[in-house]
Amino acid sequence: MSGSFYFVIVGQQDNLVFEMEFLPAGKAESKNGYRHLNQFIAHAALDLVDENMLENCSNNMYLKTVDKFNEWFVSAFVTAGHMRFLMLHDIRREDEIKNFFTDVYDLYIKFAMNPFYEPNSPIRSNAFERKVQCLGKKHLLS
Amino acid sequence: MADKVLFEFLHTEMVAELWAPHPDPGPGGQKRSLSILESIGFRVGQALGERLPQETLGFREELDVLKFLCKDLWVAVFHKQMDSLRTNHQGTYVLQDNSFPLLVPMASGLQYVEEAPKFLAFTCGLLCGTLSTLGFQSLVTTSVTSLPACKFQVVIRKP
Repeated sequence: MSGSFYFVIVGQQDNLVFEMEFLPAGKAESKNGYRHLNQFIAHAALDLVDENMLENCSNNMYLKTVDKFNEWFVSAFVTAGHMRFLMLHDIRREDEIKNFFTDVYDLYIKFAMNPFYEPNSPIRSNAFERKVQCLGKKHLLS
Repeated sequence: MADKVLFEFLHTEMVAELWAPHPDPGPGGQKRSLSILESIGFRVGQALGERLPQETLGFREELDVLKFLCKDLWVAVFHKQMDSLRTNHQGTYVLQDNSFPLLVPMASGLQYVEEAPKFLAFTCGLLCGTLSTLGFQSLVTTSVTSLPACKFQVVIRKP
């Protein structure tokens, strides 16, 4: 059984840096009327992520499931530079999502090393998108 | 391992290159070169701030972040820890390094004190950049009374 996933990277000023959808084969792109809903749910979850960070004095970057909206779960991962990786998913897949976050984190760090990339600005790179897509297929849609 | 020296040589060349065309550029030109060095350091600091704290996310407050700068950042870049950290608990911190690696090869004592600021500009930017990734706007200045000891004064700006 496989579900659909919506992955987004949010910057320090709650600005959108990167977003990508992972849908299982066979499901067409989600109806246009509901695509903005994903962004809305993710944005609403940011408050909970911050609250989690403040009260949970753990050293973990991975915050597991932070919020639930209708049938969507929101899992989060916070980096040292306060960049937040959010994943909206409709089925529970903690391990796979954690591995996905770790791999995307490695990828993001390498990308941030690029002197031509302005931190916190939207990521517009075909190579990055392709790699994230591969990671998504490998961890989430298998 | 040759790593330490590689960075020192690169840094020395950077400073030399910015000062080479006009050995005595006058106040306007000097300021420009200093700010170029600071912005280079800033970008490097931003990248390091993302990359270094791999597993340790225990930055509850400013003091933890400053301790991270003194220990982990200094060890990663200069292979030694900062010698002392003082604070007035109101956003001002003084980081003191008694034998700053970029100044050690130059002199020991009062010689070349006027030349020292150009060799510290990059590091000021480095501290500022790392703090900015970790979420703090800051102002970093240095003061040198006798080589190779130097002090970095960090003032965290409240939003």
